[in-house]
Amino acid sequence: MSAQPAPAHPIQTTHALKRIWESGPAGWNQALTRPAVLIPFFVLAAAVPLVLQYVEDNSSWIGAQYWTLILANCAMYACLAVALNLVVGYAGLLNLGFIAFFGIGSYAYALVASDQLHQHYPLWAALPVVVAVTLAFALLVGVPALRLRGDYLAIVTLGFGLIMRDLILDLDRPPVLAGHQFGPDGLNLTGGTNGIHQVDPFKLPASLPLLGPVPHFRMYYWIFIGFLALTVYCMLRWRNSRTGRAWVAIRDDELAARAMGVNTFKYRLLAFAMSAVIAGVVGMIDAAFIFNAFPGNFDVQQTVMVFIMVILGGLGSIPGAILGAILFTVPPFLLQQFVFYKYLVISIVLIATMVFRPEGLLGTVSIRPRKNLGGTIELLTAESSVEASELPAVTDTEVADLEASAGAIVEDPEWKQ
Amino acid sequence: MDYFLQNFPQQLVNGLELGSLYALVALGYTLIYGILEMLNFAHGDVYMVGAFLAAGVAGFLVHNEVAAVPAGLAVALMMLVAIGGAGLLGVGIERVAYRPLRNANRLAPLITAIGVSLFLESAVQVWISPAPVLVPTNALVPQTVFHVSNVVTPLTGVILFVLAVALMVALDAFVFRTRFGSAMRATAQDREAATFMGIDVDRVILVTFFLASALAGMGGVLFGLRYASVDFFMGYLLGIKAFTAAVIGGIGNIRGAMVGGLLLGVLESLVGGFISSQFQDTFVFLALITVLLIRPQGLFGQPLTDRA
Repeated sequence: MSAQPAPAHPIQTTHALKRIWESGPAGWNQALTRPAVLIPFFVLAAAVPLVLQYVEDNSSWIGAQYWTLILANCAMYACLAVALNLVVGYAGLLNLGFIAFFGIGSYAYALVASDQLHQHYPLWAALPVVVAVTLAFALLVGVPALRLRGDYLAIVTLGFGLIMRDLILDLDRPPVLAGHQFGPDGLNLTGGTNGIHQVDPFKLPASLPLLGPVPHFRMYYWIFIGFLALTVYCMLRWRNSRTGRAWVAIRDDELAARAMGVNTFKYRLLAFAMSAVIAGVVGMIDAAFIFNAFPGNFDVQQTVMVFIMVILGGLGSIPGAILGAILFTVPPFLLQQFVFYKYLVISIVLIATMVFRPEGLLGTVSIRPRKNLGGTIELLTAESSVEASELPAVTDTEVADLEASAGAIVEDPEWKQ
Repeated sequence: MDYFLQNFPQQLVNGLELGSLYALVALGYTLIYGILEMLNFAHGDVYMVGAFLAAGVAGFLVHNEVAAVPAGLAVALMMLVAIGGAGLLGVGIERVAYRPLRNANRLAPLITAIGVSLFLESAVQVWISPAPVLVPTNALVPQTVFHVSNVVTPLTGVILFVLAVALMVALDAFVFRTRFGSAMRATAQDREAATFMGIDVDRVILVTFFLASALAGMGGVLFGLRYASVDFFMGYLLGIKAFTAAVIGGIGNIRGAMVGGLLLGVLESLVGGFISSQFQDTFVFLALITVLLIRPQGLFGQPLTDRA
């Protein structure tokens, strides 16, 4: 056989796909977060329940409602994973109390929209309340805790999550401190282990133009998908803004970021609070969706669940977070008979991911061990190197000018000869 | 006030009992943090596994009516199995889950540790027992109860306190008086420099994990003997509280962890007795957050290493 090279593949698209495939996780992320991919993705995702309904109407298969429920659940976790990705993946803050904010949002909505306190706020009035309450809690924890070192932050947020769990479980009766009872006898704020039942669903039209009557599950699936799309849009806009670059800079090297004049505290607090508020709003939608605020939904295992979605999908990657949410919500529903082993499998996947592929499936943050010893903690990212290469090239004379204007000693070309 | 004065000694004794347990587990957190600067979230679950091993041995001996084994020997066997098993478990965890990530950034081992913690809990829940397992302590230890004026404490409580304190003294002597202890301290201060001095850092880390986990396993045995029931979730809350104790004492500081444990036990007991049993745990976590915010280096200033 002759050693002649094979002719280039004539079809350009194959070539482009191949190039994307070879570009590694950073390239996959870039490709997957383009509007040309995301818009069809969300449109298709929104159309799924209609397709299921159509199949059910035209065949003997029944299960459209069940599958819509699974998908709604999946979309909810995707929202949470994207929000957690903001605080862990973008800003590098290990917030172990993340799920508490989801719970706070749920309970805040349940309190103003149920018989618990005999308040029945409509959505437009409840939303600001939920946002304000979660924001207040986020600032309460974040303002002092974000001044701490990384792993101490993890502990403070973990402690905060445990305190919130205790409060939710214990505030079904008036608190008694040192023999003094605060509040009237019948005070029942959170419903204790029972949670709060009969939470109002949002007052939404029962049917939409063109689509006809919309069942409860499908409506909330669309709400979750819509909220996910909104969140992803905001994240992508943010990611490519000054704020997003500040987050990545802080995550990669806090000292260097601070030296560059980045107000690290401000940006960390922003990421922390925004992620908390998003989780709170998701909690509100969930409470309206399942008509309940239930303490079991906010325990430790839920936190680990959302973490594994983000870790397996890849820290810092939005498509990764969504992929992680799909991988960890749909299969458990299909494998209900193995539900006992759920957390065993999840923990093994988590450990294996961290040991064998710590950057996750689509992750761009490399947290692999360094080969050499010593030095500062490194977090090399493909993203930051891409950004560096996108900067306009600077010529030597420009550098010389810059150095001269900055008062640096510049090599004199004549002297050199 | 009379109520307070009457009940204070009892609450203090309860607190010291509980606190010595916290201190035993807290020592493990502090040892591992001192050497690796890593929070071993799975430590509380190692303690839980130790308690289950001891409960298994006790159950086996009692239910099979191994009459030839005297009670004292049975307890010693429980301790031996729990210490050895927990120690090896700790070493295994280090080898499999933490060593590959030793030089990665801080987040990585922390997340892995959460995974290990969940794994141990689920494994015990799935493969051993989802319900609490009873430890037949009444067949092993005399159920003597001491009455000193109006303070009441069972023999098992005294054993718990005395053994815990003895182990702490022994550990302190090991770390501060032996050659291997100075290798540990050197590794904690500067791992690279310790390597250059000819210290086998991997071995130091393995031994540290073994010691820390063995102490936790011992804590599990003592808990089982005192409270006669173990469950798969028992390590979670206790782990966090022991960690709180380590932080209060200054994480990385061995003597601090002991004092922190006792202090936290007493604090919890006093809060439960005199302020609110409803919000006992809430106060513990508030103490943790307050210490971290106001004095992150802990109550006793300089930790074992000078890096934190």
